[in-house]
Amino acid sequence: MLDHILSILIFFPALAAVFGFMIQKESMRAYGVSVAAIEFGLALWLWYVFDGNVSGMQFMENFPLVPSFGINYILGVDGISVFIIILSAFFTLLGIGSLTDTPKVKYMIITLLFLQMTMVGVFAALDAIVFYIFWELSLVPMLYIIGAWGGPLRIYASIKFFLYTFAGSLVMLVGMLFMAYFYYQATGAWSFALLDWYRLILPESFQLWLFAAFFLGFAIKVPMFPFHTWLPYAHGQAPTIGSVILAAILLKMGTYAFVRFSLPLFPDASAFFMIPIAVLAIIMVIYTAMVAYAQKDIKQVVAYSSISHMGIIILGTFALNVEGISGSIFLMLGHGVVAGALFLLVGVIYDRRHTKLMSEFGGLAHVMPRYAAIFGIMMMASVGMPLTINFVGEFLSLLGFYQQSHILTLLAGTGIIVGAIYMLAAYKKAFFGEVTNEKNKDLPDVNKKELFGLIPLVIVAIWLGVYPKPVLEPINNSVKSIVQLMHNKSTTELAKERIPNLIKEKVIVIKKTVIEEEVR
Amino acid sequence: MLSPINVSMESLNLMTLAPMLIPVVGALLILVIDIVKGGLHKSLYVVLSLLFLAMDFAAVADASGIFMQDGTILGVFDVMLVDGLAILAQFIIVGASMLFIPLALTHKRFHEFSYPEFFALFLFMIAGFQFMVATDNLILVFVGLETSSLALYTLIAMHNREKSFEAAVKYFTMGALAAGFFSFGAMVFYALTGSVEINKIALVLAANGYADIGFVLVGVAFFLAAFGFKLSLVPFHTWAPDVYEGSSAAMAGYMSIVPKIAAFVVAMRFFEFLVHSDIVWLDIVLYAFVVITMTASNMWALVQTDVKRMLAYSSISHAGFVMAAILIGTTQANSALFLYWILFSFTNLGSFSMLWMSRQKHLAAHQSSDHSYDKFAGMIKTAPVAALIMGLFMLSLAGVPPFALFWGKLYMISSAVTNGYTILALIMALNSAIAGYYYLKLIVYMFMKEPVIDAKSGQVYVSNATLALKTIIGIAAIGTIFAFIAINPLLEFVTAFVYHSGY
Repeated sequence: MLDHILSILIFFPALAAVFGFMIQKESMRAYGVSVAAIEFGLALWLWYVFDGNVSGMQFMENFPLVPSFGINYILGVDGISVFIIILSAFFTLLGIGSLTDTPKVKYMIITLLFLQMTMVGVFAALDAIVFYIFWELSLVPMLYIIGAWGGPLRIYASIKFFLYTFAGSLVMLVGMLFMAYFYYQATGAWSFALLDWYRLILPESFQLWLFAAFFLGFAIKVPMFPFHTWLPYAHGQAPTIGSVILAAILLKMGTYAFVRFSLPLFPDASAFFMIPIAVLAIIMVIYTAMVAYAQKDIKQVVAYSSISHMGIIILGTFALNVEGISGSIFLMLGHGVVAGALFLLVGVIYDRRHTKLMSEFGGLAHVMPRYAAIFGIMMMASVGMPLTINFVGEFLSLLGFYQQSHILTLLAGTGIIVGAIYMLAAYKKAFFGEVTNEKNKDLPDVNKKELFGLIPLVIVAIWLGVYPKPVLEPINNSVKSIVQLMHNKSTTELAKERIPNLIKEKVIVIKKTVIEEEVR
Repeated sequence: MLSPINVSMESLNLMTLAPMLIPVVGALLILVIDIVKGGLHKSLYVVLSLLFLAMDFAAVADASGIFMQDGTILGVFDVMLVDGLAILAQFIIVGASMLFIPLALTHKRFHEFSYPEFFALFLFMIAGFQFMVATDNLILVFVGLETSSLALYTLIAMHNREKSFEAAVKYFTMGALAAGFFSFGAMVFYALTGSVEINKIALVLAANGYADIGFVLVGVAFFLAAFGFKLSLVPFHTWAPDVYEGSSAAMAGYMSIVPKIAAFVVAMRFFEFLVHSDIVWLDIVLYAFVVITMTASNMWALVQTDVKRMLAYSSISHAGFVMAAILIGTTQANSALFLYWILFSFTNLGSFSMLWMSRQKHLAAHQSSDHSYDKFAGMIKTAPVAALIMGLFMLSLAGVPPFALFWGKLYMISSAVTNGYTILALIMALNSAIAGYYYLKLIVYMFMKEPVIDAKSGQVYVSNATLALKTIIGIAAIGTIFAFIAINPLLEFVTAFVYHSGY
């Protein structure tokens, strides 16, 4: 079973979803929660059996799909993907668990389970085409979640979401076909396997174009400025669960793909584009933070703040060193937990009042103390308070990029300050002061079902903020091997300068000891 | 004194004719049965047609076995040519026809299917297509083309509804024009080379180094126009949406697949040597055809209010997409063409059959046309399974993986990439994105809008459904979903056949 644990993780929810059609509406929630719980248990088991000291891929599966064209069903996880898979199982469980009873809850759960298949698939795939299949397939359930359960503009939002990402990824597909073709030219055999591609050293001019093709696909998904325009709509119109999954997991596909594809495949291009991308990322951080400040709708505040934090993730990724990349991956997890929690929290008051305008609220801390406390903690985590999960990631990301450019890092740092400002301002508007609106006088505090979704997130946010080691170390190990690979593959001076050589340090250490010759 | 001509029966290789003769015999048999005893139920004719098509299929399979052993076979004074292209095309033609003919077994009674002539003409038409692809003699191509076209005009007219006559006349007029162009082009090449066989034309032209390039271009221009009509390339496409609209949905689906593969094969045979002769003009024109056909028809499809017309334009766009294979002209591209068309025939026939199934005898008051988008609003509530299947076909047509057409697109774009057509590859990718919009539009209508029709009339989506129809749609759906399992054998099969035919 261990040999196929990744396939099981991918297809178990899909199979369960198919069976779900046969289940009575009333028992659907119980079914959904149990399936998601089993899936989460499997994911935890994966963590348990995962060897954090190994930097390479584990639990690899390989099955020929279209061998004559080099397409194989290859799966595998390393320290980077394993935690994102756990995160997606975690959020699917929380999401289904805290679903409010809508009339269509049955189809919602089925859709979510299908979505889970695609999410795990994206993070476990090691073949470009298999990756692409899950990547594209994830659009369909999300389209349905936004389009069928969203707000008044839901159809516009869902189509915009679909078409943007669909168009971007088609360009990426052309890039993938080029990669396979270059591999074919170099070796005489077609291959879409990522590990095969890693061995390919491309001239810089090719890298730049291919990087651009992949970049378009990933940047729209992240979404990076200026490709971000679909996201506020998607968040604004999506139901709570849709926003949660979107922010917590789906956006991570883009940043994850940068680490998995762009960096190791095109180290020279990554170094070449480092500064322009960093500038875009900083615009993303500052501009969206400012936009967030101007929002009247609390969900939009969270949505824009979410884009803003994605900017830090991009910045960390393109620091091209171990601190930056590890930090950005840790921040992906942190952002998932925090943004997911914030969207869940917004959902809580939306369920009670059917409005998300901050002007409608005020003094909620008096009426809903527990809610206010949880919101407060998550908000602190969001602005990156030390001892919360986001601090670790943000700190490492900025530390990593500090080694590349002091000024740009400083600029990005201001974005975090603006972040603190708008978050505190929003919190003040909604929670402090007198209860001005009569309708808010006797709002019930968070109930058990909602706590089921929120408490674990609070625990994780603080636990990993205080003690990030069990997660950070496996990530670090895998990132090290990626950075080393990038250094070894890089051909230009610029790249050699920007991407650190990790082995070098080791050689120095060893030099001081006796076994110098052996190493050489 | 002329010496008597001695022809041994063996050298004629009459078995090369077998696949075409089977449907002809079937058609004659149906006519005879009708003469002997008229007024029999249509199901008899459907099953008879199916039976003969199955035998036809077996004959093609037999020929493919011989081809794999002995290579290309010539027969009947070297007029018949059974190579990989011919066999693959016949597989598609006969296979798609076998999927099509049970669609006649609808719940509602439709005019055309009550005539046995319909089925006889249908079989004649298939024989015509088979002749078209199994030769490189331009005269026989012409004969096959006309046999099939004339039968097809009649089949459309038999639908006997408001727009059918218009459609048939339109198709006939356009087809006659195309036939004229074709014969004129053939004449030019005969004048230039003294032969009507494509391989000889190629040899002669290559031998004299394309000395009369001006005349060659004139001939090519006429051929391009002729194929443009048959393949509905923009700007020769104008008949297609109207004809599709005028004919029954099932027939429209059929027309978007089978006549085109026949034309594609002839185009492949004809343009293969021209593309490789470095005539710059031809490259540019073909490039323009491909890009304009893909893009323009996509734009038109965006603004359609009727699903059937949208699918018609989308079929034009797919034809443009596949035409790229002729432009690229490598083994990989040619294999991609067949792979794409096989996958396309499943999906497209499936989606047109879904329209066919929801065809009403009489329009409801609020419906502006037979298959307006509005009609499909909220289908998930009234007919969930049908909506899911229709959505599946739309996703496949849009090229969302892992459904069937994605693999065709993948391989086709890859063949563009491999041959340095980077810009073309990008255009193909972006066109797929544009196309995504109108396929998505139907999905949005089906899944996200409130039903316009009242809930109990959800029957409208399955008003025509019979077991036969459901089976066909089921086969198409399974083929669409599980295509990824079959891709590898299919690809190897197709590539082997194309490669061994020297294309």
